[in-house]
Amino acid sequence: MAEYAIEMRGMVKIYPGGTVALKGVDFAVREGEIHGLLGENGAGKTTLMEILYGTRSPTEGEIFVRGRRVEIRSPRDAMALGIGMVHQHFTLIPVFTALENVVLGDEPVRSAGLLDVQAARARVEELMDQTGLHVPLDEPVENLSTGERQRIEILKMLYRNADILILDEPTAVLTPLETKELFAFLKRMKEEGKTIVFITHKLREVKAITDRVTVLRRGEVVGTVDTAEVSMEELARMMVGREVLFELEKKPREPEEPKLTVEDLWVRGEGGDYAVKGVSFEVRGGEIFGIAGVEGNGQTELVEAITGLRLPDRGRVLLAGEDVTGARPHHLYARGLGHIPEDRHRRGIILEFTVAENSILGLQRLPPFMNKWGVLQESVVRDWARKVVERFEIDTPGIDAPASALSGGNQQKLIVGREIMKDPKVVVAAQPTRGLDVAATEYIRRTLLRMRDEGRAVLLVSADLDEVLMLSDRVGVMYEGELMGVVRPEEVTLEEIGMMMGGVRLEDIKGGGAKAEAESTGG
Amino acid sequence: MRLDLRQYAKPLAESALSVLIGVAVGTLLVILAGYSPVVFFKALFGGAFRSRNAFLDTLSYMVPLTLTAISFAVAARASVFNIGAEGQMYVGALVANAIGVVALPNGVHQVVAILAAFLAGGLWGWIAGILKAKRQVNEVVSTIMLNWLAFYLVNYVATYHLYDPKAPYKTEYVRETARLPELIPRTSLTLDWVLTILIAFLMFFLVWKTSLGYEIRATGINPTAAEYGGVDPSKVISISMFLSGGAGGLAGAFLVLGRFGFITTTLTNILNWGFDGIAVSLVGRNHPIGILFSALFFALLYNGALEVQVATATGGKTGVPIELVLAVMGIIVIAVAVPGLWDMVQERLLLRRKRVEVREEAAGTVGGE
Repeated sequence: MAEYAIEMRGMVKIYPGGTVALKGVDFAVREGEIHGLLGENGAGKTTLMEILYGTRSPTEGEIFVRGRRVEIRSPRDAMALGIGMVHQHFTLIPVFTALENVVLGDEPVRSAGLLDVQAARARVEELMDQTGLHVPLDEPVENLSTGERQRIEILKMLYRNADILILDEPTAVLTPLETKELFAFLKRMKEEGKTIVFITHKLREVKAITDRVTVLRRGEVVGTVDTAEVSMEELARMMVGREVLFELEKKPREPEEPKLTVEDLWVRGEGGDYAVKGVSFEVRGGEIFGIAGVEGNGQTELVEAITGLRLPDRGRVLLAGEDVTGARPHHLYARGLGHIPEDRHRRGIILEFTVAENSILGLQRLPPFMNKWGVLQESVVRDWARKVVERFEIDTPGIDAPASALSGGNQQKLIVGREIMKDPKVVVAAQPTRGLDVAATEYIRRTLLRMRDEGRAVLLVSADLDEVLMLSDRVGVMYEGELMGVVRPEEVTLEEIGMMMGGVRLEDIKGGGAKAEAESTGG
Repeated sequence: MRLDLRQYAKPLAESALSVLIGVAVGTLLVILAGYSPVVFFKALFGGAFRSRNAFLDTLSYMVPLTLTAISFAVAARASVFNIGAEGQMYVGALVANAIGVVALPNGVHQVVAILAAFLAGGLWGWIAGILKAKRQVNEVVSTIMLNWLAFYLVNYVATYHLYDPKAPYKTEYVRETARLPELIPRTSLTLDWVLTILIAFLMFFLVWKTSLGYEIRATGINPTAAEYGGVDPSKVISISMFLSGGAGGLAGAFLVLGRFGFITTTLTNILNWGFDGIAVSLVGRNHPIGILFSALFFALLYNGALEVQVATATGGKTGVPIELVLAVMGIIVIAVAVPGLWDMVQERLLLRRKRVEVREEAAGTVGGE
C-alpha cells in the first residue's frame, strides 16, 4: 500500500480573472490520519480541495490517489475513488427529508425504478449506528439545525463509501458543544481507518484534532509539520508570516452615560416569527458592548431594528436619550448613528459606484454635500473622499475607481472610514472584520477601540468569539432571540460563554446567583 | 463622478460592430428576396440625406424617439422597467391638444401646454410607480395596462369631445399661439428639437449631478444598500416613474405642438413612438448622450425605409415590400441592442456572484488567544 492516500503535485490554479489561487502546491495526506489544512481566507485551502473533489479544474498539476495517477473531472470521479467532501455551504434540499437527502443521487431501486425506501432506511440506520451520527430521518431538512444538517452531509458521503473525507471549515456553523461531538466523531472515524482532511483557520482546532498540518499562505505551502511538534504561536506565524498581535492594548476606561438603550425589543424575522424576543441592554459612552452567539440567533434582526432597517414590533430604542424607535436610517444618521453593516456588498457599499460616491452613502442629502437646490457639491464630495482614503489608508487606484476595484479589506476600510468620519455618538458594528486578512482586521479592531477611547458608544456584533471577548467591555450572549446573560469578558470562562451560546442562561450556570454588575436579560 | 471619455470607447466599438453584423445578416435576406443589397442599404442609410427636407425631417424624428427613450432610461436607472412611455405619450399629447385649442397668448400658451402635458404624463407614470412601491405590482404589467387605458381614454376624448367638426376623424388643430416655432421655415424641424437636446442634458445632470440622481442610481444598482444609505426606495421609485412619465408626456406634447398640431381619433399619427423608445434607450445604454446618437440612428433608418421602396423599384419591377425593409431594420436593431442587454444581464450575474463569494469568504479571521 502506498504511503499516501492522496498526493497532489505542483498544483497551479489561475482563475479566469487572472487571480492566481495556487502557485505550485505540493500536498500529501497519509493513509488514516487527520490532516489539517490551515490558512487564512484566500490562502487557497478551499480551492485546493475543490480540485481534489472535482468541482474545480486545476490549471496545472498531478493528483495521485493511493499511489495511482488519476484524473478527477467531477465529484462523481472523486466519489468513485472514495473521496467525499462536506462543503462549508450545505448542498441539501430543504424540503426533502434527511433520509431522502442522504440517498439522493444513489438511491437503492427496486425493479420498475421504484425507490426502495426500506433498503435505504436500513442502510442509513446501520450507518448512523456505526458512526454515532444520529439525525431524525423523516424530518424535512429545513426543520433541522445546522449541526444536524452537517451530520446529514457527512452521512451522505459515508453512504457513498467515502474513506477519504474532506471537511471545509466544519466548525464555523457549530456551537462549542457540537464542535466537541464532531471532534469525537472524527477521532472514531480515524480509528476505523478513514483519512480526513480538515480545512480550518482556527489554531485551537488544529491542535485539538489533527495529526499533521499543512499551512498555506497566498497559494503557497509554508510547510507540513507534525502537530504535536509545533506550538500555536509557531502555527500562527506560519499562517500569517509574522507575529500576530493577539492582545490589543485596551486601556481601562470609566464608562459614561448611556448613549444607546434598547428596551424589551421584539423583532420579527423574514419568516414572520419573532427573531428577537424581548432584548434589553444599554451601551454607554466609552464602552464597547459585544454581542456574541452563533450566527442566526437574531443578531441580524436586532441590528436592523436598531439601525432603522427593520421595524420592531414592540419595545423602544433610545439614541442619546431620544426615542428613535422605528425611525428611518437617515434620521438616525442625522442624530449621530454610524452603522458598519454585516454584509458589506448587500448594504455597506455599492460596487459599481466610485470610491468618492461610496464615501457619501448616507450623507448624500446633508449639507455641505448637497446644496439647497439638491445638487451634489462635487468638490466637497471629492475632498471628503480624499480625506477618508487618506485617514483610513485605503489602497485604491483613486477616488474615481469603482469600489469593485478594491480588495475586501479596503472596501471595509472605506465603509468604516465613512461611518467614523461622520463623527457618530453611537457606532453599531456588525461582523466588522468578516472575511478580512489579518492586517485589515487588526486595523479595524484598533479603530473600534479608538472609538471607545474617544467616548463613543460601540455596539459590536460578531460571530467571532475571540473578537468579541478581546474588544468588549461587556458581552451579551444571544441565543434564539434572547440574551442568555451579560458578562464581563475577564470574569467569564470560555466554557461558560459556550454554554450560553448553546442556550443555557447565565443565572443557571452560576447557580441562580447572576452577577450583580451585569444587567440581566429582559423579557 | 467625472465624465471619462474612455468609458465610451467600448460601447461605441460594440455598437459599430453590431451594425455591421446586422447589415451582414440583412444582406443575406435582401439577396434571398432577389434585390440588390447595395441599392437597398444605400437607400436605407442614405435616404435621410437625399434632400434638405428629408434630412431635417430625420432630425425631427429624433424628438419623440429621444424623449420616449429618456422615459425608459430614467426608470431603468432605478431598475424599473417602464414599458409605459407609449401611454404616457398619449395622455401628454391629449392634454397638450386640449390646452392648445383654448385661447391663450403666444409664448404663454406653449409653456402652459408643455408643462400640463409633462404633469399628465408624469401622473400616468407615477401611478405605476406608486403601485410598485406600495403594493409590489410588477411595473411591466401595470404600465402595459396603463397604455391601453391611455389609448382608450384619448380615443374617447378625441372622438366625443375634442374632434374637429370639419374633419371628425381627428382632433381640432391647436391654435397658432400654441404651435412651436419652426427652426427653419416650412420644415418639420421646430423648437422642440432644441428643447429635446436640452432635456437629454438635463437628464444627465439630474442622474449624475444631483442627490436625487444619486439615490435613483443607488436604488437601481443595489436597493438594500440604498436603504442602508438612508434612501427610501419606494419614494425614489415613484419619483423616477413620475419623471419618466413626464418625459413620455413631453414626447406627446411635442408631436402635437410641433409636427402635427392634432391627433387622429384612433391615434394613428402618434402610435408606437413609445415602444421604439425602448429600443433607442437600450442601444444608447440608458445614457442620455448615447440616446441622442441612438435616436439619430433610428431616425435615419426610419427615413431611409421610405426611400428603400422607391430606390429598389426599377424598370417596371416594384420595389422591396415594406415588410422586408422592416425585417432588415429589425435585424439591425436587435444586433445593436444585444450588447446593451448583454451588459445589463452580465452586471446582474456578476453582482450576484460577488455576493456569493463574499459569503464564502465569511468565516472570521485568525482564532487566537
